[in-house]
This record gives sequence, C-alpha cells and structure tokens, in this order.
Amino acid sequence: METIQFLINGFSVALQWQNLLFAFFGVLIGTAVGVLPGIGPMSGVALLIPITATLTSGLDAESAAASSIILLAGVYYGAMYGGSTTSILLNTPGESSSVVTALDGYQMAKQGRAGAALSIAAIGSFVAGIISLLGLALLAEPLSALALSFGPAEYFSLMLLGLCAVSGLAGKSITKALIMTVMGLLLATIGVDNVSGVSRFTYNFPNLYSGLEFLTVAVGLFALGEVFRTILDRDNEEGQVSKVGRILPTKQDLKDSSTPILRGSLLGFFIGVLPGAGATLASFFSYIAEKKLSKHPGKFGKGAIAGVAAPESANNGASGGAMIPLLTMGIPGSGTTAILMGALIMYNIQPGPLLFEDHPQVAWGLIASMFIGNVMLLALNMPLVKVFAKVIETPAKYLLPIIIAISIFGVYAVQFNTFDLMLLLACGVLGYYFTKYDYPVAPLVLALVLGPMIENNMRRALTASDGEFSIFVTSPVSLLFLIIGALWICIPLFLKWKGREVVINEEG
Amino acid sequence: MKRIMGVDKVSKTFDRYAGIIFLLIGALFIVESRKISASSYGSNVGPDIFPIALGIVLILLSIRLLFETFKYSGKEKKKSKPDYKRFLIILAAAVLYVNLLESLGYVITTFLFLMVSFQVMERGGWLKTIMIAAAFSFGVYYLFVEVLQGSLPGFPI
Repeated sequence: METIQFLINGFSVALQWQNLLFAFFGVLIGTAVGVLPGIGPMSGVALLIPITATLTSGLDAESAAASSIILLAGVYYGAMYGGSTTSILLNTPGESSSVVTALDGYQMAKQGRAGAALSIAAIGSFVAGIISLLGLALLAEPLSALALSFGPAEYFSLMLLGLCAVSGLAGKSITKALIMTVMGLLLATIGVDNVSGVSRFTYNFPNLYSGLEFLTVAVGLFALGEVFRTILDRDNEEGQVSKVGRILPTKQDLKDSSTPILRGSLLGFFIGVLPGAGATLASFFSYIAEKKLSKHPGKFGKGAIAGVAAPESANNGASGGAMIPLLTMGIPGSGTTAILMGALIMYNIQPGPLLFEDHPQVAWGLIASMFIGNVMLLALNMPLVKVFAKVIETPAKYLLPIIIAISIFGVYAVQFNTFDLMLLLACGVLGYYFTKYDYPVAPLVLALVLGPMIENNMRRALTASDGEFSIFVTSPVSLLFLIIGALWICIPLFLKWKGREVVINEEG
Repeated sequence: MKRIMGVDKVSKTFDRYAGIIFLLIGALFIVESRKISASSYGSNVGPDIFPIALGIVLILLSIRLLFETFKYSGKEKKKSKPDYKRFLIILAAAVLYVNLLESLGYVITTFLFLMVSFQVMERGGWLKTIMIAAAFSFGVYYLFVEVLQGSLPGFPI
C-alpha cells in the first residue's frame, strides 16, 4: 500500500509541467540518438549531462536532480526505441542492442512491411517499458531494505561483484576488460583522498586536486572516441533507406507478436537486473529463445515478425531492469547506468538504499516519469516514424564535427577550464584506440565512478576489523558476493576454453 | 554497432606495446604510492594501500596480456588504411580550438573550428558550410548565455 502512495507522489513530481517537458525532450532526443549512427545511448546521455545541469541551475538541488535524471533516463530508453528504426530500414543497427532486430526487420522492410515492423517494435518496447516499471516499483522497497542491512565489508564485495560482472561480459578478452577496470580504479584514486585528506598523484597540479572529472572522461571515451572512429575508418557510406509503407500492423501481426512481446519483456527485465548483462544480451537471448519456441523456426531470418517483437521488447525491458540495481543498491550494472549514477552524484545525490528514504522525490519521480515517457514514446513513434526515418539521412560531414563541438561545449560549460578540454580530446583519441583493439571502455568508466566508494568501504571495513583482511570472507554475505563475482569471471573463461561461443555485451 | 559482428581486429603489436605500457603504469602507481604513506594516523589502513594493491593487480594482468600475445595466430589481417590525414587535421583544429577558446571567445573559435572540419570532411558547398557553422556557434552562444544565463567566453575586446 505504501508503495502505491509513493508512486502517487512520484506522479505528482513527474506531472509537473517542467518535468513533463524534460521527459518529452529526453525521449525525443533519445530516439534521435538511437536513430543517428555514431552516437549511442552512452554518449547521448553523457553529452546531455552538462546541458541538463545548465537547464536546471535555477532549481533547488533535489528538484534539479529529479528533472535532469528524468531527462537523462528518457534519453536512455528513448535510444532503445530509436535503435530499431535503422536496423529495420537500413540493415545497419543504430545500437548494438538492435543488431538481432536487423535479421528479420530488414527482411520485412524488403517485403514492404517496414511500417508494421516499426510499429510492432514500438508496441513491444512500450509493453516492456510498462512491465519493467511494475517490476521496479515492486522490487524497489524490499531490495533497498535488504541493501540497508549491508555493512562496509558487504558493500565492498557487492561492488567488486558488479565490476567482475561487467568485466566478464564486456569484451572478447577478459584480460583486457580487467585491465580497463583496474585502470579505472587507479584513475579514481587521483586527487585528494577524502578519508585522510592527503593528495595522491596530483604533483601540485591544481586541476588534479578534485580528481579526474568523470563526465570529461566519459564524453571523451564514448562520444569522441566513436566520432574519431567514424572519421578514421570512413565508415559513413550511405545505404538505401527502405520505404516505410503502411504503419499500422495487421491483426495477424498483432496476434503473432503478442506472446513474443510478453516473453521478451520478462526475459529482458530479468537480464537487465543482473549486473553486467544488458540490453544487447537480452535481445540476443530473447531472439534465440523465440526461435527455439517457435512452431515455424524456418521463418526466422526471412521476415518473421516475432523476430522483431521479441528482441525489441527485451532490450527495453532490460533498460528498465538495469535501473533496479542502480536505484536500490547504488551499483550500476552497465556503462549507461554508470553515467546516470555519475549524473546523480554531481547533484550530491547518492543512489543506493537510502535514495528512497532521503530523496523519494527523485526516486519515485523517476519511476513515474518512465511510465509517462513510455506513453510519450508510443505516441511519438507511431506517427513520427517517417520523420525519424529522415533523420538517418543527416549527412555525416555536418554531424561529426557538430558532435565534437557539442562535446567541447558541454564539458566547458560545466568545468570552465582548458585542462578538461585537453583531457577530453586525449580521452577521445584513447577511446578510439581502445575500442579498435577490443579494450572495452565501459568497465573503465564504471570503475571510475565506483572507485572512491569501493575504496571507502574497503577502508571502513578494514578499520573496523583492525586491518584484518579476513573480514571479507568471514561475513557470509560478503563471501557469497565474492564467490559469485569470481564465478562471473571464471565461467566465461571456462566456456571459451571449452571452445564455446560466448555472447558479449557491447554498448555504444 | 557494426564492429560487433565478429571482425577479428586483434593486433599483436598493439597489444604488446599496450601490455608494456600498462605494466609500467602499474609499477609507477606502486612506486608513487609508497611516497604518500606518511600521514595515515589512527588507522593502519592508509591512503596508499588501495593504489598499491591495484598496481600489483595491473602488473599481473599486463603480464598475462603479454603472454596471451604469444598465442595469437601469426598472420595479421590487412585492413583498409585509416584516413589519418583527415583525422589529424580535425584533431589539430580541435586542439587549437580548445586552447584559443578562452582568449578569442566562444563564437569565433567555434565558427572557425566548424568551418575547417566541415571542409575537411568534404570540400565544397561553402555557402551551406558558412550558414551551418554560423548558426551553430551563434545559436549555442545566444541560447546558453542570453536565454539560460550560463557563462561562456564572449568576444575578444
């Protein structure tokens, strides 16, 4: 009952006119981000943080945080919607989570059923969004109550588990993923240590006292890295955009896709809750599951509508599910949620079990706004599909330099110094080389956000235990987390060693 | 995006150099951490333990990476050569842009940067280039400074 009361309060926040506007722009920009090649949800969210910071500068801290997280989350799930459009019309997925959608979606487009595919993708995403919201509202209270019982040792192990999960699934080589994670943790130690007040690795360089700004690093590695890749690899050949055609799906289409949508939503939601696994994995698994369960598996790959409905529902379900560990425990399970977490921390709001008690306005406002955002997306996408299809044709020669200019503007508007801009460009170049040679950048950003918290919890736990490291294994909960974390790294290694294909989760 | 469809880009040389660099970074963090241990009073868990431990892990992982490079199959794939010329001009323009931003002001530097980059991406279409670059630099400045009351370096006096 209490939950319903909170949810109603959440709606009263989300229905304030400025928050409705924020949600609207969030999902609109998100859809465009999903459609445009070259920027994915992660860079999209990272690029918008500085802009929302300025937009909300007149509000008090809590409403500012609520409004900007509403916009940023809108970008996140909006991008999941938009990603399907390019998969279907161009056969080039806008996001990695829409790769499998292209298999059947493009075939449907070739048969002149692009409109039906697009609208089923929109309906599926909508249903998944609603289902994952119900899950979020139901699980939020019990999970944060559970997380409140954790001490520093348990927290340390839980965060380690989160990092292991993301590294284990992040790239082709686990070694490289772990290297990136450790690099992120090391970079996080730069600056004044907030326990002892000693400055570490700053070398009397004033810009380093507050540490490397996470926003600068994230925008550089993701947004600029991707732009540089497109410039260097001349990856902007123009494809033929298919005609959209009739938009409304037929009765048969709806009948064929209703169960896949439900299955995809549920599967996606639960995969999204797991740290490390995200939208990409969810869409792969639900496609495979649907093909196995189908009475006509031969139709898959030749334009089966279930092959569009299931993965598109799953990737949206996953983006909702991914909010759960972030909001209830303060553990982001993916690169994009790590960036959302960084945004909340910028407003001095610590995601985690206390979020629902200390800042119910932010937590429940966000949950309610996701509901409203999903309704807006459905209302936007059905009639505007043809407009978004036009966005694909934005010429790269204008788009790429403008993304660079927006990144520079965004970082400068928040940081006001040339040092961060140089750091931004350096991170862009590094981001290009890292991704090119399969060093995943998402674990680095995640580690950079989690680093200070991991260290604090480790030191608090060790101080309480008089420096005995055994505290991490004598607490049963902490031991359990450590074992799961180790398994998360070892099982993919074991599968690879046995010669199996391991599906990895890549974000753009 | 497109790259996830199983393109094998593993490059032996890059990974070797990267392994050595990460190894050196790990060593550097350990050496430098040992210098900050002095002021950890009241607790035996000082500010140096976490970075030292991470440095050790990084060294171990780098060694593992170096070992892995020996197992790569010998042939390196010929890839289409990246377009370094275009990239380096844009990067150089960006470096100039961020360093002149505070002295020349936002509008002028942004306009010039966009002009250069648009033309490097594809020559020609001058009128359209000027229009878009001007619209972006003036538009962002006006919206941010006048409408949102933000602060950006204005014009040189």
